[in-house]
Amino acid sequence: MKTILTVFRKELKDSLRDRRTVITMIIVPLLMFPVMIGLTSRFIMSHEAKAQVRELKVGVLAGNNAGKFVEMLNEQENILIFEQIQLEEGQALVASDSLNAFIVFHEEFNRQISELGQGEITFYLKETEEREIEIDRILELLGEYEELLRIDRFEALNLDISIIETLAVSKVNLATPKEQLADMVGGILPYMFILFCFMGSMYPSIDLAAGEKERGTLETLLTSPVNRFQILIGKFGVVVLTGISSAAVSLFGLYLGIRYISSIPAEFVDMAMSILEPGSILILLSLLLPLSVFFAGLLLSISFTAKTYKEAQSKIGPLFPVIIIPAFIGMMPGMNLNASTALIPILTVSLATRTIMAGQADVSIMIIVYLSLAVYAGAALFLCSKTFSRESAILQ
Amino acid sequence: MIVVKNLYKTFKIAKKQKKEKGSFCADGKVHAVSGVSFECRPGRIFCLLGPNGAGKTTILRMIATLMKPDSGSIEVAGYDAVESAQKVRAHLGFLTGTTKLYDRLTTKELVKYYADLHGMNNTDFNRRKEELFDLLDMNDFADRRIGKLSSGMKQKVSIVRTIIHDPDVVIFDEPTVGLDVITSRSIIDLIRRCKSKNKTVIFSTHIMSEVSFLSDDLAILHEGKLLYNDTYQTFEDRMQARSLEEEFIRVLQEEKS
Repeated sequence: MKTILTVFRKELKDSLRDRRTVITMIIVPLLMFPVMIGLTSRFIMSHEAKAQVRELKVGVLAGNNAGKFVEMLNEQENILIFEQIQLEEGQALVASDSLNAFIVFHEEFNRQISELGQGEITFYLKETEEREIEIDRILELLGEYEELLRIDRFEALNLDISIIETLAVSKVNLATPKEQLADMVGGILPYMFILFCFMGSMYPSIDLAAGEKERGTLETLLTSPVNRFQILIGKFGVVVLTGISSAAVSLFGLYLGIRYISSIPAEFVDMAMSILEPGSILILLSLLLPLSVFFAGLLLSISFTAKTYKEAQSKIGPLFPVIIIPAFIGMMPGMNLNASTALIPILTVSLATRTIMAGQADVSIMIIVYLSLAVYAGAALFLCSKTFSRESAILQ
Repeated sequence: MIVVKNLYKTFKIAKKQKKEKGSFCADGKVHAVSGVSFECRPGRIFCLLGPNGAGKTTILRMIATLMKPDSGSIEVAGYDAVESAQKVRAHLGFLTGTTKLYDRLTTKELVKYYADLHGMNNTDFNRRKEELFDLLDMNDFADRRIGKLSSGMKQKVSIVRTIIHDPDVVIFDEPTVGLDVITSRSIIDLIRRCKSKNKTVIFSTHIMSEVSFLSDDLAILHEGKLLYNDTYQTFEDRMQARSLEEEFIRVLQEEKS
């Protein structure tokens, strides 16, 4: 044990003095969530605010049919109305972005309405996500106009408008704040934790295996009177620690981001804080620990077969999709943690994290999750020790 | 003391390498060491001389327990290199010309790391460290990171790392390869110092001048086989060519023909 600790302490010191390891283990995970949350919320808010006040150019071809609608448009701030435009010209102006929208009333519109039929309106627009808010502003006005016409019609018929409302549905949301937040961000958070756990393990595993081979220090280390397995466990411990630390630091970064970024809505902060309680965090870390052992085993095994740092990087590269795809599948709606998905490595962590965040963890399924993770972690450690015992893998 | 008896070691090779090597490895294997036997005695310097690819490094790696022989036996300081590998490693120091150090550790941290791996207690470590640091004039850079040292300073650190635990057997695998004259000199001095302290010293080289002024015993290795194994004095006495280098080439050519 003393020897393992000697190797572990040295490898940890060595790794923490490596700038790449510190950046991937501490700096990136710590800043990622605050920066992501801050930039995203600010961008969305400013985008929405700009879209709400942006001046809209709206063409209307109505003849004598829509006097009231044009009045409503005129009452709006930041809307310019163009009425002397013909159909083809209006379409071309929308297509060339000179108009935001072009609204054409049917030439018999007034008659259609007065005969209690549907008044036909054609709305020419360029429907893109970027213009969604601007389009919504015009659709809202059309909705108000429709409501006015409806009230007029009911009054003319001497009827109470409430007779068309046949159902009175009251929606009462019984989802807990935890469940609501798990639904909103439950996919992306485990994805990020898994990614950081992998990234945090990656550089130390390359440095402590292929890097050491390339530098020629492994050979002399192996001539010391230490069991090879002790050396491996010392190195393994550092890779596991950096992986789990990276995920834990990202969790801390998430806490800081939610707690101190002022642009986040208060109700979201309350929901998030209900998840980031010590019990949930401990369970999350207990899932990430065997995952980190699994990653360490895989990464060190690959890294030991490489002769140089660069070769190890190129060998580990293809592992990224293998890690990302199951984590990504866990983000998809409809994916649930059950006895089958609990057996798939990485996906099991992704789904279990979501379940824990929602406070819906089922004990029997969680036992399967931990057992499968323990088996994968053990298999990865076994693979790594087999690789490390091969002469061709450890000597240049 | 090192006793090597009837040592064999083969390596599997890839198809591409097989084509390059031709008949030398027709069975898909490289016979790196074939039936090698020799003895290295305390207080004497045993030189393993051979061209590149002769099998020198493989033999030294097997002595250092980094590799296991296919057959044959190796005894180091009274311990079997396969059965008691850890005990063998406790009694040896290993230095190669290509060995680098941990750039992010300081000189003191690195030496302490190897002392800890050898299970030295703090008192012994401090006494030995002071003795070696004074001897090699290393106190000025004891707290400096290895990556910031000159190649001469690094070589001194390598030397101390190799002998910090005062091993009975010291292995040098082409220790002066790529080093300048001054740095090479520090290695030569170390080898001589080991001899004067009655250590068993084995070193491999393909540099003739080192052979002539260091060797007590000489073994010439070619394609995994020993072509000569006796004292250096006997080799010199029997020389048919004018110089050591020419004699070495003559011996190799004689074997080929």
